[in-house]
Amino acid sequence: MSCSLLLPAARRRLAFAATWAPALAACALALAAPAGAAGAGAVVTTPQVRAELVAHAPEGVVPGKPLQLGLLIEHQPHWHTYWKNPGDSGLPTTLAFTLPAGFSTGEIRWPTPARLPIGPLMNFGYEGRLLLPVAVQVPASFSGESLEVKLRADWLVCKDVCIPEGGDFSLQLPARAATAGHAEAFAAAEAAAPRPAAGAKAQAEIKEGALQVRISGLPAAWQGRDLQLFPETAGVLNNAAPVQGRWESGQWSAAIPIDAQRSAGPETMPVVLTAAGQPSGLEVTVQVTAPWPPLAQAPQAATGTAGSAALAGPAGTAAPAPAEPIGLALALVAALAGGLLLNLMPCVFPVLSLKIIGFTRHAEDRRSLLAGGLAYTAGVVVSFVALAGLLLALRAGGEQIGWGFQLQSPAVVAALAVLFTLIGLNLAGVFEFGSVLPSRIAAAQARHPLVDSALTGVLAVAVASPCTAPFMAASLGVAMMLPTHEALAIFAALGLGMALPYLAASAWPRLARMLPRPGPWMANFKALMAFPMFATVVWLTWVLGQQTSIDGAAALLGLLVAVAFGAWALGSPTLGRGARRGFSAAALALLAAALVWAVPSWRQDAVAAMPGTSGAVAGQEADRWQPWSAERVAQLTAEGRPVFVDFTAAWCVTCQFNKRTTLNQPEVVAAFERKRVVLLRADWTRRDAAIAAELARMQRSGVPVYALYSPGAAGPRLLSEILSVGEVTAALAELPD
Amino acid sequence: MKKLATLAAGLSLATALIGVSCSVHANTTAAVGQPAPAFSARDTAGRTVSLADFKGKTVVLEWVNPGCPYVQKHYRSANMQGTQREATGQGVVWLAVNSTAVDHGDYLAPGALADWMKAQRAAASATLMDPDGKVGRAYGARTTPHMYVIDAKGTLVYAGAIDSKPTASVSDIAGATNHVKAALAETLAGKPVTVPLTRAYGCSVKYPSGA
Repeated sequence: MSCSLLLPAARRRLAFAATWAPALAACALALAAPAGAAGAGAVVTTPQVRAELVAHAPEGVVPGKPLQLGLLIEHQPHWHTYWKNPGDSGLPTTLAFTLPAGFSTGEIRWPTPARLPIGPLMNFGYEGRLLLPVAVQVPASFSGESLEVKLRADWLVCKDVCIPEGGDFSLQLPARAATAGHAEAFAAAEAAAPRPAAGAKAQAEIKEGALQVRISGLPAAWQGRDLQLFPETAGVLNNAAPVQGRWESGQWSAAIPIDAQRSAGPETMPVVLTAAGQPSGLEVTVQVTAPWPPLAQAPQAATGTAGSAALAGPAGTAAPAPAEPIGLALALVAALAGGLLLNLMPCVFPVLSLKIIGFTRHAEDRRSLLAGGLAYTAGVVVSFVALAGLLLALRAGGEQIGWGFQLQSPAVVAALAVLFTLIGLNLAGVFEFGSVLPSRIAAAQARHPLVDSALTGVLAVAVASPCTAPFMAASLGVAMMLPTHEALAIFAALGLGMALPYLAASAWPRLARMLPRPGPWMANFKALMAFPMFATVVWLTWVLGQQTSIDGAAALLGLLVAVAFGAWALGSPTLGRGARRGFSAAALALLAAALVWAVPSWRQDAVAAMPGTSGAVAGQEADRWQPWSAERVAQLTAEGRPVFVDFTAAWCVTCQFNKRTTLNQPEVVAAFERKRVVLLRADWTRRDAAIAAELARMQRSGVPVYALYSPGAAGPRLLSEILSVGEVTAALAELPD
Repeated sequence: MKKLATLAAGLSLATALIGVSCSVHANTTAAVGQPAPAFSARDTAGRTVSLADFKGKTVVLEWVNPGCPYVQKHYRSANMQGTQREATGQGVVWLAVNSTAVDHGDYLAPGALADWMKAQRAAASATLMDPDGKVGRAYGARTTPHMYVIDAKGTLVYAGAIDSKPTASVSDIAGATNHVKAALAETLAGKPVTVPLTRAYGCSVKYPSGA
């Protein structure tokens, strides 16, 4: 540990040099790594680095001749030091030279840095061998025999722990002899330094929370390449966010996300650009054309809104304001009511009719009816809890997801479409299930009607998950914040609420007896129920089309045809054995071909759409609604504009309903225009971490969420999930004109 | 019908449980001037502490890691403890948060961390364990120390460094401006914070890798 004091002789400081403490403090830090002998030599060795003060004076130390000093750092494997902008953490190496009077040193000529990711953070720095050169001006008055150079250097070296180190170095240079022992290292450092890009013009403007950079005039060898951008100014950009650049007629442009906790707003930003295959970087100065928005919106008094509107549900109680989580008991009651309402949601109703068919078969046998009802309830509750458990486990694993996450994956949507097609075909009579499965398994199922009831409950849950009823939203939001066992209790209450009608009807058969007796009408009813199934398949195909492309949707339809053919070949009661075998083989081949065609077109990276802009809205709507970003909301409210955000997804039926009815009404459109409200749409059709995080902040975990931000209010006002024209216009009327 | 329901149910549960790939990118949702993100975490004594518990009070969040030289700079000099004492003496709630991953060398079990805080004579109201990094990510905590001040209305009014000299030397503390003390003085007096954002300095927060 170096316990030397800084020498009082005249020193030249470099722009970023910070004075390091005197010995007492350095000793007190009591860390490993002695920082070297007190001013004794040119080398300081620690367990992490070997640092040496080196010089390059090919023509001796003579006025007018080039002289370079530098710190040569050899890092142990996996240890790194930092660039002038260290990134999200860390500190740059500082060099403080002590030279005789008259000498002046320039800035460190930093070599091109590397990106050093650490978890979700990003740093910029160096590993391996590094030379930080500094140019020195020899004054005309210098006439000594030798030059004594002293250096106080401090660096922060990190691997997974960080150790601030430093050392005192000294070196004697002969004045009339060449010093070129490290010529190769200096030449390498010169080659690694970013070259100024002559003729390059770089401009940037701030838009939607990102710095929109446009750079033209880059050298020919750089055109069309993937570029990486290293900002020399710290505290402005989001260092870890990946940057997608585009080339268009010789101009490179990219939208670089701005740090949400930005601490500077410079007018010019020097940056270093690198490209794969180029030996070193280019230095470009970016002119920021538009003024930076204020760093922080000054906190103002809340405008006294309760932050909620009465819901359209039958109970009519107000949803809680975003900042006040409701108590657990209230949450459980709300969850129960939400589950009840789920039965009425458009995506559950087809399964509800399946249940009714089951009732009419067992209306006479009271005990088995009740047992079936309890089994169904168990199935529903267990699957809600299991899904919730998976959700919480994935969330604990750092995944940014919320309720409805199943339908954000094209594979899941496709699988559900296949499932509903099969159900629809069976109901329509195309194939009979009994002949698809071997008779042993088919008979086994018949022997366990309770298991069947339970699994019917599971089916109902899988179908209901994307629809959030009014009460569910608040309960889900609270559940995400609570400890695991309380969250699971809320989900269990949801399941119980959903199963209650079925359970009630099974316990009081009078209700079941009110249903019509079995008869020939049942075959027709069964076939009729096929059509809601097919309608659901149409909806799922549309969702898949939104997630991928029209090709993906067509591929799904092709797969469904293959599946339908297979089901008919295997299960049609009227085919003969030979025909069945032949058609089955053909169906299998067709299915394989359909899968080979379909699967690649659904893969995540086949989708070119950017998050937040997928699910494009047709027609004039696209002009009124702009893509959402948290920074844009902050920027607009800082400018005094009210903002209305529609958190939506293609697979959310309630969202689509509101979008096409209430939000399209002429009175609502006019009210938005009158109050100059900016309309933003946050599309969660595909997984989007930013949207999921914003939903969590508002204590919601599903869509739809309608947030009205009025300038000057502390937080958004959340409207109810089934929007009515009256509610929207009333909320807008409260905005200042 | 029931047989189909069985197959359907089995298939649907299987499809509903198809895993999703892990998305790596961390998102900062906290922004100065906006409501501070809600959170809930266990403290070193095992009690669950939520931001909502302190409604109506000014809250300071301090990201801490005893293994980081920059945290040690402020604790060995008693600078952090002094700031804590001054704050809590004025009714401010001070929450120290440790977001170090369990498998990292710097990780301290709750008991050990509590012992360290006690040995340092820290005056924090509670020390929260955040080993999965949820609270850290919600606030965009990048370094230890990283400081946040939340006013009584729940708005984030300061985010950034503890003071203005980003070094590891104790001697730099005396000449530096303590941003947290300044922000607290202004917030408690009902005035807007003049320096709401600074660049936090220190070691990186040791988040779990791969998540």
